[in-house]
Amino acid sequence: MAAASPSQRATSQFLRRLRRSLPWYPFIIVNTVIFLVFNLVPWISMFRYSVLKTDLLSTREFVGLDHFVTMLTDAKLHKAMLNTVWFTVMYIPLLVAVSLGVAVLVNRPLRGMKAFRALYFLPNITSVAVLSLIFRRFLSPRPDGPINFLIGLVGIPPQKWLIDVNQAMPSIVGISLWEAFGYFMVIWLAGLQAIPSELYDAAKVDGANGWRLHRYVTIPLLRPTAAFIIVIATIGALQVFGSIFILTGGGPVNATTTVVYQIYSEAFNFGRFGYASALSILFFVIILIVALIQSRYLRFGEDIY
Amino acid sequence: MSVSETSSPSVEKRNPIRETLIYIAMSVVALTTVGPFLIMISVSLTENIRFITFPVELIPTPITLENFQLLFARTDALRWLFNSVYVAFVSTLGGVITSSMAGFAFARGDFWGKTVIFTLFLGILIMPDTALIVPQFVVLSQLGLVNSYTALIGPWFASIFGTFLLRQAYLSIPRDYDDAATIDGANLWQTWWRVLMPQVVPAMATLAVLRFMGNWNSFFYPMIVTSKSDMRTLTVGLGTVARSGGDAGLDMSGAVLGFLPTLLVFILMQRYIIRGISLSGVKG
Repeated sequence: MAAASPSQRATSQFLRRLRRSLPWYPFIIVNTVIFLVFNLVPWISMFRYSVLKTDLLSTREFVGLDHFVTMLTDAKLHKAMLNTVWFTVMYIPLLVAVSLGVAVLVNRPLRGMKAFRALYFLPNITSVAVLSLIFRRFLSPRPDGPINFLIGLVGIPPQKWLIDVNQAMPSIVGISLWEAFGYFMVIWLAGLQAIPSELYDAAKVDGANGWRLHRYVTIPLLRPTAAFIIVIATIGALQVFGSIFILTGGGPVNATTTVVYQIYSEAFNFGRFGYASALSILFFVIILIVALIQSRYLRFGEDIY
Repeated sequence: MSVSETSSPSVEKRNPIRETLIYIAMSVVALTTVGPFLIMISVSLTENIRFITFPVELIPTPITLENFQLLFARTDALRWLFNSVYVAFVSTLGGVITSSMAGFAFARGDFWGKTVIFTLFLGILIMPDTALIVPQFVVLSQLGLVNSYTALIGPWFASIFGTFLLRQAYLSIPRDYDDAATIDGANLWQTWWRVLMPQVVPAMATLAVLRFMGNWNSFFYPMIVTSKSDMRTLTVGLGTVARSGGDAGLDMSGAVLGFLPTLLVFILMQRYIIRGISLSGVKG
């Protein structure tokens, strides 16, 4: 018979492969363990707990898919979803417009431009706790509070801002906008500067000028940047939490209770960890769907040349 | 990418009126971003100030540090500051080193499970972390890790994004370096540490700055995994200060305390932060 049997050959190949593999594992072991403990295990537990009714202490009861049925009639959840949509619908167009406007403004070879960009970026490096400490004071309902004083200069009467049912969410939008526009400005700038200047020259030769230059060169070429920004910003917007937690606690009368705040509240205010886990699954699915739809609709990353 | 001053449509001749208008517009925007911070600093140095009222006195008389003394006396702010420094430092150092190791393995390694693990990592990268907060708390409480540094640092001790970033950096180094090191008798660790890692230091610095800022400013997760005041990080502690309804002076001294470290890092490391954004498009 032939010298080595196939199984013998397989074994020696296996051993050789193993010998080659082993030295590499120490390099990834920490990453992998952290990933297991802080991501994979929580993922599994999210599904396991979504069918339980538990406060993590005494009660622990199997309820099947009850939590998901409850969601259909949970008025507070529906309100939270509407609030999240409301926040996103106000925030995204404003953010896109402001950050692009500022990017166009500073995208010039003028002296001191880098300093201005750095100043615009300042709110973005600041933690939400610091921003909230500042804006809780700035949005004070007192007539001589900073923002009320400033709007008073143009004849607008003092507003209640964070403690008004209708103004609380727009206030949160304003704070988020203030915090984020510098960051998205940087991304816009990268997009703007990737446009070859020959294209502008060519368009000018063809007689385009001023606004038409932007309409036919800048805007079409910024499409991938816009798509990227909208997707990233939306995913961020759906997850807004810190400023709401600190400034309004979801109020007044649930006016700023977003889905994430609702998940937090179910778990940590009411001890409903099973329901909160089920809501986490729902929230994850929502984000995934939104991201997929947007990526497809905006033709994310499509080559436009 | 460097934010260089190229290819703007405004190659037209210099127009002083237009330039002045642009400077005015830019200054107005700058005022909205810088103004609140200036007022924050000014109020933190003002004596006995309960509310911020306009028009504001930008240079207080007298200048006092009593708000900071009150902050340290009434709250655990010093302890929070220590926790934040400790957690951010260990998290950053750990995250950067483990990313460098794993990035090296995924760039050069040939081992079982490489594709599977790599794909799993890629999967995590796209997950929204807020969706996982409650399950993370559940797991940590079962492990008895709530109110521990392990919980605060743990998830930061490895960075999936960092692993990808460093993998890319290692892939850009020619294999010749590895071969030369092997011929000289270096083992994998020596090849990594002595030959390849020195060449990816810029990528590691970018990652370190992003991770430091991200960790220092993180709020939701550290708030969830700590319930005792002495285990809170500065941002979480300041959140409780904001909700407690003290004087404006106290609030603003807390805000200054939370703001200064990130400002310092930003001033020193601005270049890396901007590069990090263009590399990732997401915060670290």
